[in-house]
Amino acid sequence: MNVMEGQLVLLLPVIVPIGAGLLILLAKAFGQNRSLLAGTVVLALAAEMVLVLVALGNGKSLAVWRMTDMLTLDFQIDSVSRIFASLTVTVWFLVGLYAISYMSHEQEEQRFFGFYLIVLGVLIGLDFSGNLITLYVFYELMTLTSLPLVLHERTREASMAGLKYLFYSVAGAFLALFGILFLAGTANNLTFVPGGMPGVQNAVFSGKEGLLLAAVFCLLIGFGAKAGMFPLHGWLPTAHPVAPAPASALMSGVITKAGVLAVIRVVYFVVGPEAIRGTWVQDGWIFLSLLTVFMGSLLAYKEPLLKKRLAYSTVSQVSYILFGLGMLQPTAFVGALSHVVFHSLIKNALFLCAGAMILHTGKTKVKDMAGLGKDMPVTLSCFTIVSLALIGIPPASGFVSKWYLATGALASGTGAWAWIGPVMLLVSALLTAGYLLPLTIQGFFPGADLADGRPEKGERVTKPELSAWMLVPVLALTAGSLLLGCFPGGILAMLKTIASAVL
Amino acid sequence: MIPEICAMGLHFRLDGFRLVYLCIAVLMWTVSGVFSLEYMAHYKKKRRYYLFFWATFIATAGVFLSADFYTTFIFFEIMSFTSYVWVAFDERKESLRAAETYLAVAVIGGMVMLMGLFLLDNLFGTLAFDELGTEAGKILRGELGIRQQACALGSPRTQLYVASGLLLFGFGAKAGCFPLHIWLPKAHPVAPAPASALLSGILTKAGVFGVIVVSCVMLGTSGEWGMLVACLGLVTMFLGGLLALFSINLKRTLACSSVSQIGFILTGIGMSCLLRYAGKDIGLAVEGTFLHMVNHSLFKLVLFLCAAAVFMNLHQLDLNDIRGFGRKKPMLLFCYLMGALGISGVPLWSGYISKTLIHESIVEYAEAVNEAGPAAGQLMAGPAFWRGAEWLFLLSGGLTVAYMLKLFFVLFIDIHPTRQKEFDDMSGSYMRPLSGFVLALPSVIILALGVIASSKMDRLAYLGREFFRWEGQGSLEAYFSPGNLSGGMISLGIGMVLYSLVVRLWMMDKGSGRYVDRWPAWMDLEEVLYRPAIRLMVVISLVACRILEHMTDGLILAARKTTHRQIPSVPSTAGKGKVYGKRRRWHWMRPSWTTQFLLLSVGRLRRSGRLVEESFSYGLMLVCIGLCLTLGYLLLAFLRG
Repeated sequence: MNVMEGQLVLLLPVIVPIGAGLLILLAKAFGQNRSLLAGTVVLALAAEMVLVLVALGNGKSLAVWRMTDMLTLDFQIDSVSRIFASLTVTVWFLVGLYAISYMSHEQEEQRFFGFYLIVLGVLIGLDFSGNLITLYVFYELMTLTSLPLVLHERTREASMAGLKYLFYSVAGAFLALFGILFLAGTANNLTFVPGGMPGVQNAVFSGKEGLLLAAVFCLLIGFGAKAGMFPLHGWLPTAHPVAPAPASALMSGVITKAGVLAVIRVVYFVVGPEAIRGTWVQDGWIFLSLLTVFMGSLLAYKEPLLKKRLAYSTVSQVSYILFGLGMLQPTAFVGALSHVVFHSLIKNALFLCAGAMILHTGKTKVKDMAGLGKDMPVTLSCFTIVSLALIGIPPASGFVSKWYLATGALASGTGAWAWIGPVMLLVSALLTAGYLLPLTIQGFFPGADLADGRPEKGERVTKPELSAWMLVPVLALTAGSLLLGCFPGGILAMLKTIASAVL
Repeated sequence: MIPEICAMGLHFRLDGFRLVYLCIAVLMWTVSGVFSLEYMAHYKKKRRYYLFFWATFIATAGVFLSADFYTTFIFFEIMSFTSYVWVAFDERKESLRAAETYLAVAVIGGMVMLMGLFLLDNLFGTLAFDELGTEAGKILRGELGIRQQACALGSPRTQLYVASGLLLFGFGAKAGCFPLHIWLPKAHPVAPAPASALLSGILTKAGVFGVIVVSCVMLGTSGEWGMLVACLGLVTMFLGGLLALFSINLKRTLACSSVSQIGFILTGIGMSCLLRYAGKDIGLAVEGTFLHMVNHSLFKLVLFLCAAAVFMNLHQLDLNDIRGFGRKKPMLLFCYLMGALGISGVPLWSGYISKTLIHESIVEYAEAVNEAGPAAGQLMAGPAFWRGAEWLFLLSGGLTVAYMLKLFFVLFIDIHPTRQKEFDDMSGSYMRPLSGFVLALPSVIILALGVIASSKMDRLAYLGREFFRWEGQGSLEAYFSPGNLSGGMISLGIGMVLYSLVVRLWMMDKGSGRYVDRWPAWMDLEEVLYRPAIRLMVVISLVACRILEHMTDGLILAARKTTHRQIPSVPSTAGKGKVYGKRRRWHWMRPSWTTQFLLLSVGRLRRSGRLVEESFSYGLMLVCIGLCLTLGYLLLAFLRG
């Protein structure tokens, strides 16, 4: 049994937020003194950002705990971890700022922020993990620690939703566990290597190809549960509407991406894309992801509740990413990973705006929010911009990822999928326009009747639209999703190097 | 070229055609911008209008300057969205509905176009116009590069045609080509008039721009393609004219007229493909198309601003309400006449020149077909078809004359039964001098272009050479030769006859002199076909999706009802919202507990006990299933050795 070989700098970003979170949960002082709580949270998040940056800059690998040769907790930094970790920590920081202002309207902030920080630590651990075992451990930890965020409101719906979340995630993880056990038993090596285990797999798996494919499919479905892929997508639309807005933003924007990360690790770093190219697993994968893309956006189109609509939208959008990964083609891979980044920014911005709107109006249905543009012009403008980005209207960011996804799909040589995929993406984009734009349209153009019927400016209660704490994150996310669309060169170059390494 | 923006970089170029259109864009935006100052004076939310007004200008300029489809698409989409604000601007119910149609057409068109771009990019690996031209030419001749041979989506030729068809759909939707013209007659009447002038005068041309690139640059040598575009053009031209003649709303008439004129332009584009296919000089078609684009932009600018002057004062657009408004207003009369005479193709005005050129191109192709005689198998369609096309062309020209006459009589000849005095009193004050000046400016240009046609318009048309890929020399010298004049005259004649017979006798109520809408109300493609079709599709797929959606949940539910049945629990009186009530356990200690409370607590305890039991048994079951699976796997592994 060996403990700690390598650079401790990798451990700090995982330990520090978990420690800070536990401290907040346990120390009574945080329950009484709000500014202390807020200060600690901001400080912890800022420190975490620095720590992650340092770790990403200098770190290479760290063996945290070596139980047996097989069962090890390994941290390892590569380009994929860099992208996911920096995305996670940035978004977490911004949403944290928002939450400090937002959660003042809710009870039990102490518990919320405690788990908020703990989940961050766990997610960073997930991003850093260097083999499938570590990934699985942190994956399960993430499910458990993020549960209190869903349960936060402690209403009956919230607890039922929490249970549903737990059930789906755990069921998914068990499915995945089967795959992991098979891989571990057969290949004896679950370390992440770009492009999977070269050469080894043919020798080791000869005679067991069928079982290998079944295992991979289980892994896909299992980890797909977190990413909201059909058939285990059901938790998203249930859990989001009941969680507080910052929590749903993160669930949607970041935690679903953990499922994506797991899928990337399994397919591109353990099994290797060549093992499943052209098999029924690839077909099944693409089929399920496209089905989810369509189903999610159609259900979102017909959904009256704003937050639930956004949740369905996540179901659909994350499956864009899975579709891109399933193509096993470099360009589509670049598109998928860039959509990870863009969708994360966009969906967080959408949820934060939605949270602000719901808080401001006290209404949860889209059709009740007509005329919002007058009261909350900034929020609604941001909402509009990120909506356009999500639909994929140039020059905002969603367009770039969609371009790569579709051109990659066409060049993938997967037969009919090559053109069904892009068509599906466009149909879904159309539906996206259908479910996001009505809010903007009736917000800014409520119709002459409504505008006349409302009291004049002086008579209305003049509430400030957003506090600065909430405004800054929303603006930053919006700007990010717009500017990254205009100047995606850096990200794309990085993603292309990853793609050429794994494919 | 600006690299790196939006991943692929933006590519721009300036050539003769683009220069002309840039100038027109600047002219149009300046004129309608200045006019807006007066028009918009009484509106709220002016800032919003001006912001999107100029944003659209930038986007439109971007479209016209673009040198690859990627850039075109980016600016095209921006343009669609920023111009949405114009249509929805006044927030009335019909505006919002029209805006919905506009947005739907724009978004659907955009997505379809994007699919076309994906296919093209897949086929050629580039979207730059120049390279697309050469590459597509190779495919049409049957020479395949390595990239195309590797392409697995059907034959490259098919893929090229499919991609072009999708692009035509996207650009055609914006241009107002049949059957996607539905947004024009709805959106124009409700948008602010200076904005309608731009929508109709230049935004539709952005669509035409794309059609030209597809048709002349990429598929210039394809006869089938030319035939498709020409037929679409002919249908659009005739139908738009017909709609305009039936309309009894001033701006709707102008909007439908735009549809019709776009039809003329599309016909010209189609003819240029056909002529090239037949090995003739495409000069006639190219000059005609280009000049008609320029002319139409100017005409519609003038005409819509005339409509703006009417609306500004009356806030009415129904022809019956605005009768006689133009009387005793010579300035308005002059401007309207310039626009109307131009668009009707009366000799000496510029519209005559461009229409004649397109007409001649049809005649020339018909001659080519005739010359080829029975061996005309490879040329498109027979002589009879082209004779029909020529007459359809002249008839559509006639329709133009007829509806312009109708508007002329309404505005300047008819007398309003009750408010005529009021109208006449406005003669001095209906328009600020500045607005009048900018309105007169394009009117004078129209006249000037028409009168000095042979010298100036040829040179103007010549600027389009590079863009249209026109290498030949010849064009029509004698615009006013008897042969050419006769075409224009026939159109004029048809128009007069149509007006005096159809409009005067059928579309006007005899007694009161009111104009009646004779168009059957149900004949509306959008209401009859598009909206129900979309609704139906949504409903069908929604049912399927709901079933799938509830599949997993249903399985879990079924399991809970059967294998994991929960024993009905004692109903909690504590209210549904407090499952996790605070400090529950301390209730035991309270001294004042009653029997009822004891029962309740016991009930709670039993429930939580059951919950624990159930979760435990569930966990056990999962473990068992896992064990079974493992055992099965081990067994399998053992049996297989």
